[in-house]
Amino acid sequence: MEADLQAQLAFVLTGRAGAGLSPIAPLRLRPAPLARYRALTTLRHDYPLVLTSAPAGEPVILSLSGLFDVLLGEVGVGTDAERLRHHAFRLERKIREAVAAGATGTLSVLWDQAERQLLTGGESLLKDSCARLRGVLSVDGEVVGCDRALPVRLFTHVWQRAQARKVRRMQEEIDRLARKLSDILGAADANSETGLGAERLRASVGRAFANDFDFAAMSQLLTTTRPVVRLSDVRRARVEHLLATLRSHSFAPADFVFKTLGDALEAHAQRLPGLTALANTITAAGLEIDGGYRDGAHDAVFEALNGRELDPVDRARFPDYLVCLNADTLRAADIAKLTEALCAGVPLKVLIQTDDLLEPSQFGDSHPSAGLAARKLVQAAIDAADVYVLQSPSSHLYRFRDQILRGVEFAGPTLFSVHSGVGEWTDDLPPYLASAAALESRAFPAFVYDPSAGPDWASRFSIDRNPQAEHDWPAHDLSYEDESLQRMSEEVRFTLVDLLACDARYAGYFARVPKEQWNGCMIPVAEFMANGPRGLPDKVPYVLMADSSGGLHRVLVDARLIREAWRSREQWRSLQEWAGVHSSHVERALARERQAREAQAQREAEARAAEAVAVVEAVPTAAAATGAAPAPVAPPEPAEAKPPGEPYIETLRCSTCNECTKINDRMFKYNQNKQAYIADLKAGTYAQMVQAAESCQVAVIHPGKPWNPDEPGLEELLKRAEAFA
Amino acid sequence: MSEQATMTNGATACLLRMYDEQHEIEDYQKGVPRWCTGCGDNAILAAVQRLCRDEGLRPEKTVFVSGIGCSSRLPHYMNTYGFHGLHGRALPVAEGIRMVRPDLAVFVNTGDGDCFSIGAAHWVHAVRYNMNLTVMVHDNQVYGLTKMQVSPTSPRGLKTNTTPLGAHLNPLQPLTVTLGVQNVSFVAQAVDWIPEVLYEIVRAAYHHRGLSFIRIVQRCPEFMPGALDPWVRDPQRVLILRHERGLKLSPALAQIYRNQLEHDPSNIHRAREIASTPDPIPVGILYHNPDAPCYEDLRRNMDQRTTDMIRRGLEAEFDKFTITSHGS
Repeated sequence: MEADLQAQLAFVLTGRAGAGLSPIAPLRLRPAPLARYRALTTLRHDYPLVLTSAPAGEPVILSLSGLFDVLLGEVGVGTDAERLRHHAFRLERKIREAVAAGATGTLSVLWDQAERQLLTGGESLLKDSCARLRGVLSVDGEVVGCDRALPVRLFTHVWQRAQARKVRRMQEEIDRLARKLSDILGAADANSETGLGAERLRASVGRAFANDFDFAAMSQLLTTTRPVVRLSDVRRARVEHLLATLRSHSFAPADFVFKTLGDALEAHAQRLPGLTALANTITAAGLEIDGGYRDGAHDAVFEALNGRELDPVDRARFPDYLVCLNADTLRAADIAKLTEALCAGVPLKVLIQTDDLLEPSQFGDSHPSAGLAARKLVQAAIDAADVYVLQSPSSHLYRFRDQILRGVEFAGPTLFSVHSGVGEWTDDLPPYLASAAALESRAFPAFVYDPSAGPDWASRFSIDRNPQAEHDWPAHDLSYEDESLQRMSEEVRFTLVDLLACDARYAGYFARVPKEQWNGCMIPVAEFMANGPRGLPDKVPYVLMADSSGGLHRVLVDARLIREAWRSREQWRSLQEWAGVHSSHVERALARERQAREAQAQREAEARAAEAVAVVEAVPTAAAATGAAPAPVAPPEPAEAKPPGEPYIETLRCSTCNECTKINDRMFKYNQNKQAYIADLKAGTYAQMVQAAESCQVAVIHPGKPWNPDEPGLEELLKRAEAFA
Repeated sequence: MSEQATMTNGATACLLRMYDEQHEIEDYQKGVPRWCTGCGDNAILAAVQRLCRDEGLRPEKTVFVSGIGCSSRLPHYMNTYGFHGLHGRALPVAEGIRMVRPDLAVFVNTGDGDCFSIGAAHWVHAVRYNMNLTVMVHDNQVYGLTKMQVSPTSPRGLKTNTTPLGAHLNPLQPLTVTLGVQNVSFVAQAVDWIPEVLYEIVRAAYHHRGLSFIRIVQRCPEFMPGALDPWVRDPQRVLILRHERGLKLSPALAQIYRNQLEHDPSNIHRAREIASTPDPIPVGILYHNPDAPCYEDLRRNMDQRTTDMIRRGLEAEFDKFTITSHGS
């Protein structure tokens, strides 16, 4: 036993397999959590997908399983529902098998093929089921499996649909503007001398009444009374130019798909002046139609705008440039150029496909590159803050369909980073499982960074779609039977080591331990790493793997891979912090807050205790204080008072009745709210002031005392003025 | 703004705002009002001109629609677009403008005769349609322009040319009628002799999306001299309805008009109770429902009226008739 442990420890530390330990490559093992998914075609899952050709507003991507569920929802009712379900699943499986075998085509074609294969036996009920299901099938489109070509096909499909919608909307807007501009010219023409001429009037009435009117007289009458305002030559020329520019443009989404970044950037540079001119034309047309175009003032503005690049909102009207790249073929210069283009806001929709995620880096065979090129781009794009970024393995692209659509429609550059799952896997691990395993192991985590979702990281960045995102590694229940055929169950965490165990290039870092050498010092990798990258000194890490007949094996892991897993875990934890999961800053702030509250509560408790003591001691003297009177309430502030004798008007209450201004419009004037005030006392007499006070409908004029003691009749006037004091 | 205009809205609106002039109150004045000195219409005119200035309404994007009466002279004194129409038909004209030109700010000035008498049918249905209009009824309780005939809101016993022995009936209560119409969304009452409150109510009405109905009790110094003096002279006979979601009174005015009532404008039942008690005159926002649906939103017309469409429509109509060369 001790010797076995020594041999195991030696392997973990040195990578040298001693007696008893065997290599895993011949055994075609795969991690135990993946064991039950050997026959993927028999399992209902997201793939294959149907890239639909449905109209706008309908989903652009459907999963075959989801589609069949919808069909069953429509026809699978009644006594034959169970039969329909069975037959539907058989048909679905047939289609899935065909796609997995490499068949291509639309859903209707594959459906027909699968149906023919199923119906060779002549089952009439099966034929009936197929017919009923086909009867309610209302969608069609290309069927794609999870393979190397999937990311490009899927993103191109979504992009094309989105761009077609965009082009359609823009064309409708351009048509609308062109119609309105034509109406302006038409109205001007109808109002012109030619438009109001006898011949034109006769033509507008029609032959039936051609002899019933004196069109010459009508023309003379209309010409005499027509409005003076006419379309100026400058404005006509401008409207005609705008119309010509609008009508000269058309867009085809296919012109915006490029195989290389260089081609896309070159096309962008060539087309930018034309797009700028069109965007400015649209704005100017809007102003013209609204009647808000100012000659001279706006001319200068548009001239200046024509020399500038478009702002993102204007640019978002036009199709974006789609570029699909493979990370394996990217060089450092390409990465730098792409980074710069994304940060500069070039309207790119870039797909970076990473096939080989675990290619050993230049620093040693035990260091997987983990999609370094894509990671660099993703990091740079997120740093730019205004680039939409989505990272996902192929297995989860269907679940991210809404986010993919949002990214394609995002008004700015977008970066999609996808791991296809294609690689040098042992045991023919299909791309779907491999990419899902990359997600589970945190080697290729899924996330979305959407700048338009809100002003802060909490609203923009999300890692929700990762399984058990709050943990370092997702945990799965593994049920199996032991040698005495008893059901056993244990929790297994899927780590980077499990993913590496699937790659033939890392087989040398694993060693199978025979059953008879299993011991209590062997602990799962996740548990081993709980104490740091070097783990526990007297323990050895293992992963559970299964062979093709379902037998479980414990496989030791070289310490170098443990360090890689540790690094991967730290990277995942950084991502968690960005997403606000286990944010160390928040936890520290909470801890500080908690401490402060506890300290405050402690102080209050101590103060209360001290107070209680003081009250007890002060009781004999309390009675002497009860006779004190309460502090007086502050009186309300007096209203603003005028100096006695000064005439004034309560301007705010003036009802603009013109009584006072009619009496003397130099003494009484209206302010900016058309309410009266005394503008110039000396401009009138006291008699006029009193008369105004008596005429005022709302009695807001107060004559005060006369300012000219020599004015005649003051005694009587003062008596009359008393009522308005 | 229609959906189709949104693509150009951002840049267009920015550029329009760059060059929009600041309008002063004089920019909205046109001509000298011919109303009698002391007429309450002057106060209403001042309030709407002030509103146009404070809200920065572009004169070419504003229209005042009126019917017939002294009230209906108002569009002539506004330097905006205006439509002085037929007796009682201000509301249907305004509704038509609203449907075809949703970008315009549409105001209606009508009187007690124009709105409550000949225009009563339009009044009821306009409230129900709840199109986005600001309707001001200049209620002086008499037909003034035609030199003193009884109107639906004339007090009982009023002697006029048509009722020499005195008006036989109790006056109509316009507020209770309006509050009883389905889909009513904004009802307020103002008086012309408290200009601050009049302005605030007109402003609140302008900001309400839907049909804002304001009955403005106004004085007629020529044909109803002194009729409203008891209410003008005695602030206690004016009941100010205030609320945080309704009218707020300035401290200076609150000192004078102390007869105040806290009234929640969302409470229609209470509003109906208040409306049915005409003395003291309730002044303020009686009812406000910002969520009532507007007809133009329910029936938004997405069709573009192009020349081609009109031509096709006319041809379809003409095709219904057979026209022979002999004219038979």
